[in-house]
Order: sequence, then C-alpha cells, then structure tokens
Amino acid sequence: MSGVILEIKSAFAHPARRRFWLTMGSGGLIATGLLARYGFDMIELWSALMVAAALLAGSDIAVRAWRALRVRHLSIELLVTVAAVGALMIGEVWESAAVTFLFMFGAWLEVRTMGQTRGALKELLDAAPATATVLRNGEPAEIPAHEVQPGEIVLVKAGQRIPVDGEVTEGTAAVSEAAITGEPMPAEKAPGSHVHAGTIAENGLLRIRATNVGADTTLARIIQRVEEAQDEKAPSQRMIERFAQWYTPSIIGLAVLTFAFTQDIRLALTLLVVGCPGALVISTPVSIVAGIGRAARSGILIKGGQHLESAGRIDTLALDKTGTLTEGKPRLATVIALQGMSEDDLLRLAATAEGGSDHPLGRPIVEAGRKQGPLPTPETLDEHAGMGISARIEGRDVAAGNRRLMEKLGIPLGTEGEAGLERLLKAGQTPILVAADGRLIGLLGMSDMAREGAKEAIARLREIGIRRVVMLTGDQEGAAQAVAREVGIDEVHAGLMPEDKLDLIRKMKADGAHVAMVGDGINDAPALAAADTSIAMGAAGSDVAIETADIALLKDDLGKIPEAMAISRATLSNMRQNLVIALVTVAGLLAGVFSGDIHMAGGMLVHQLSVLIVIANGMRLLRVPKGARPVAGGHETSVSAAAKAATART
Amino acid sequence: MTQSMKTVLRSDELSCPSCVPKIEKALNALPGVEKATVRFNTGKIEVEHDPSQSSVEALVDAVRSTGYEARPSAF
Repeated sequence: MSGVILEIKSAFAHPARRRFWLTMGSGGLIATGLLARYGFDMIELWSALMVAAALLAGSDIAVRAWRALRVRHLSIELLVTVAAVGALMIGEVWESAAVTFLFMFGAWLEVRTMGQTRGALKELLDAAPATATVLRNGEPAEIPAHEVQPGEIVLVKAGQRIPVDGEVTEGTAAVSEAAITGEPMPAEKAPGSHVHAGTIAENGLLRIRATNVGADTTLARIIQRVEEAQDEKAPSQRMIERFAQWYTPSIIGLAVLTFAFTQDIRLALTLLVVGCPGALVISTPVSIVAGIGRAARSGILIKGGQHLESAGRIDTLALDKTGTLTEGKPRLATVIALQGMSEDDLLRLAATAEGGSDHPLGRPIVEAGRKQGPLPTPETLDEHAGMGISARIEGRDVAAGNRRLMEKLGIPLGTEGEAGLERLLKAGQTPILVAADGRLIGLLGMSDMAREGAKEAIARLREIGIRRVVMLTGDQEGAAQAVAREVGIDEVHAGLMPEDKLDLIRKMKADGAHVAMVGDGINDAPALAAADTSIAMGAAGSDVAIETADIALLKDDLGKIPEAMAISRATLSNMRQNLVIALVTVAGLLAGVFSGDIHMAGGMLVHQLSVLIVIANGMRLLRVPKGARPVAGGHETSVSAAAKAATART
Repeated sequence: MTQSMKTVLRSDELSCPSCVPKIEKALNALPGVEKATVRFNTGKIEVEHDPSQSSVEALVDAVRSTGYEARPSAF
C-alpha cells in the first residue's frame, strides 16, 4: 500500500503523470456519478460526485491558467476555467465535470498522438547512442558519448551503434547506415574507412579514431537541418496563426457581447469552451512534421513546409543527364574488332597503351584489359594531347584515340572503320579507334551508363502523376537520345548551354507548368534556382547545388525522386484535408452553439475529437510507401555528401 | 560582465501551439534569460541565458511550472 502512495507522490512531481492520474480520477468519479443517478436514482450523490470530478480535473487547469496569467498570458486554460466555474455557479454540475474531464483527457490523448507524429525524427535522435566505450590508458572505459575527445579510440562491438564520427583504425565490419541514408544494404568498413555516428556495426569489432562527437556528428547535423525544416512555417501555417491570434480574443469578446445582449449565461460559457481553434492551429504543423519526418527517414531532406507545398504541386520534371540520369563515369560499352583481330587481343593492346595515360576515358579500357590477364609494359609511349596515345608494345606500333589521331598518323579508316564509327555515334557512344602497325584493328565505344533504377524511377514518376518528364543536357543529341530511350524519357533537349536550360525552365513555367529540376554541378545552378522546386542528388551534387536545392537526396538514388514527390503530394493533400476538417468543425461548432444544439460538454467533445482526428490524419503520412525499389551502391560517397551539405550550413 | 549560453530543451508534451507563448513568457520572466524560443513543430525549446543567474535546472523548472516536462538536450 505504501508503495502505491509513493508512486502517486512521485507522479505528482511530474506534470504529465499528475494530469493522467487527475484525469483518471475525475473520469472514475463521473462514471460512479452516472451509475448513482441512473442506476440508483441518487441525485444528490450524483451532484456531489460531479462537483468533485470538476474540482479534481479543474484544479490542474486552474493552476495552469493562473501561472499563465502571472506571466500575462491569456491561456486556453483560463477560458476553460472560467467556463467550468461559471457552470458550477449556475448549477450545471454535469457540464462542468464533463468539460474539465474532456479537456484533460483530450489533451492527454493529443500529447500521445502528437508524440507519435514527431516520432519519425525521434528514431533519428535515438539512433545516437548515449554512451561510448573508449580506450583510456589501454583500458576500455564507458563514458557519455558527447564526452569522447576527438582523437580518442572508440571500441564498437557487433550489434552496437557507433557513437561518434570517425575513421576505422583496426578491424572490419559490415555497417548498416540506414539511419543516415535510408539505405538498407550494409557497407563494408575496413581500416581507413569513415564511419558515422548512429550507424550500426552488424558484425566484427571496430576500433575507431573519433573525429567528430556530439552535436558535430553528421547525424546531429542532419537532425538539426530536418528540424529547421520542420520548424520553418509554411505559408498556410502563418496565415492560420494570424487567424488564431484574433480568433480567441474575438470569441471572448463575442461571449461577453452575447451575455450582454441575451443574458444567456449558458450560451456565453459555451462560447468560451469552443474558443480554442485547436484543430485549426494544429492542422498544418501536424502534416508538415509528419511529412518531413517521413522523408528524412528515407534520406530525403525537404527543406521546409513551403518547399513541401510547392513540391506537392509539381507536374513537370526536368532532369540533367550526366551525373543525374547517368553515373557520370564512362564505361566500355561496345567492342568492334576488325581485320580478323580477336576482341581479347584488341582489348589487350588498347589497354596496354591506355595504361600509360590517366585520361578518364582510358580507365575503363584498362580495367577491361586487366580482366583478360596481366598487361605487358610498353617499350615506348607518346601522348598526343586532345587526340590519344601511341605506344610500342611487343614490337608493334599501337595507337588508340580519336579520328584526329588516326588522321595525324595517316591511318585510313576504310569502309569497315567508317561503318563502325557511324554505328557508335548513332548509339550515342564516344568512339576510340585502335590501330596497330598502320592499320585500324578495331573500335571501342564508351558510354556513360544510365543509373541503375533510372527507368523504374521515371515510370514511377509518371505513375504518381508527373505528366511531363524532360531531359536537359549539354551533351550531344545522339548520346542524349540513347540514354533517354533507355530510361523511358521522350522529350529531350540536347546541346544546351546553362542559360538555355534556364530559358527552357522559364518557358515551361510561363506555360503554366509547376516545374521541378533535378541536377548537379554548377552549370545546373541557374536552372535549379529558376525551377519551382530544385532537387539535388547526394554524391553527384556539388555543394552549390545542395545548398540552393529545396530537396536534397542524401543518396545517389533516382528512386528517391518519386518517393519525395509522393510524400510531398500526400502531405499537401493531407494538409488540405486537415484544413477542411478544422474549418468545418469551427463553423459547425459556432452554428451549433448559436442554434442551441451544442452545450458545453458537447462543444468540448467535438472540439477535442476534431483535434484528434487531425492528428490521426497527419500520422497517416508516416506510412507513405517507399516509391521505388531501393538500389544498392554508393553508401560512403553519399554520406560524405550529406556531411558536406550539413557542414556547409553550420 | 555576463556570459550567455544557449541551452536546448526538448519536450514531448506540446500538443497545442497555444502553449508556445505561455512557455516563452515564463522563460523570459526568469533573470538572465535573454531570449527563449519555443518551436512547436519539433518540441524544441531554445534558450539564451546567463547560467550564473538562471541555471539549466531553473529553465526546466520554469517550463514545468507551466505544466510541461522538458529535458536538456545536446542539440
């Protein structure tokens, strides 16, 4: 028994728990009272119990009203207190008890549901472990995570969350970075790899030299940015807050006037009860917090309610090609062997020659050549700037490069060579011609491959209602068309200068379209700035693009674009639904009060229900499905880009 | 010479934006508090204060007196 008393005592020191017990107590008294009246016809007991219930629940409301009044604030609690006391004074004990109980019970439920709405971010916050095991004087010691000093060695065992940002010094492990990138596939970490606070070592044992701790970790910076975004008020939220500012005072004025003219105290008190525009003021924030939180869980940073609102209206999407739709890294796509050469021999010679150069186009050829076996060392090597390379390999004069190199060396292409060249150019590939001892022996076609999942992402975008998907690129027509065909885009604008991209975006907007632009690199910056919504991709995006973007994808995954669009759309319509629910409730309550259909208890019930409905509706956003199948790859780069994005802002 | 610092408190209990001015006014009424900002959407309470006049504990108490539980947070 004394244990129960202790528990009640400790509960009273904690505002939320105290309110819970007061609410339960008052609810119990009301239930007993109803039983007394309708079961045993004991009207006096019923009255007494109702007064007790009103006092119990009302005490907390009155105390809070008084405390707010002391700092000169007219609170909702004050309105409810006046209404409840007034009701007691005119003998409406049931109304008084019901109003105070419903106010407390509703608030308790609202706190719980609001907490769940904010929950998406709580997962991120909880991802940062509170303690870390550091090596001090050779001994492991457990200390609070934010007290780790940069440079100290932190031990992380299998299954533990990494408490700091740092570099692996010993050990290997598969690390799940889902908390930061939303990427479900774990990344392999070995000495030298960078790891981030909040990620989980799924196996192995790591020693990590801490570089950033506490509020300086990537995770903390991401959380800060997401919270800034959530707190940035959407235009509709600002409008509602202005409305709410005069709504409550004017309801008080209305109540006073009503009493002055009609002498109807019940009507005046009822007006006070419905005087908090609860559902209205909460309608927009709930949707935005849930929408941005849901996006953050997938590694999508939507930088505020305003951007969410405009992203939700997008009907046209423009994409840059190189580095956005494609990987931005050339690959060997076609091998055409001529003169009876085998493809293997052709590759071997070309790779050996290219091995002496560090031209980006040469790298994939060298890689492909090495797969055949070890490459010989060229006896001599000559680079021809802007043309290619020539080398003496195993006694043969080999040349690899563009058409100008062949012309310079006086090597004829022949009909076969011309046909091959034509074929490669038509397929949108960059040709490399290979010759040996004065004769063309083959052609290699280099292409920048479309990203994995690009086709699915474009299809999904159309599915969710993006009517027009356009490719804007500075690249030549053939290469652009080839990628467009592969990913399923039918509108291509190739050979554009940065200002041409800008003009096209402006033109689309002038035609009434709501345009989103996805891009990377400085040459996209003007077009990104002109678009209604700009989207920057993680690793490929430059700092400039990420800083100016309205939506930043922490990971280079095109599938995140339809997901971001789907979340924005869902959030926008969710916000509209909430506004309608709230406005209908306000109008309905006022109409009901003046027509005499709604009294105090009923008014409070409807009001609290509307708030809960609005919160519950917002919570649905947390369950917006992932847009497209997640695509593996590129963890490390995307995290560092996210880190860069977060750093640049702080 | 007073030295001001920024303290971040977090509360899970803000359910209606009407609490925002209430908590802000209660915190601003404390000695040494330069600026208190309550962010309803995230439940974050940011206070710039002089810890020698009003400790972090005093800030938490002030928020509690308006009826909400809050706790200090690293960020």
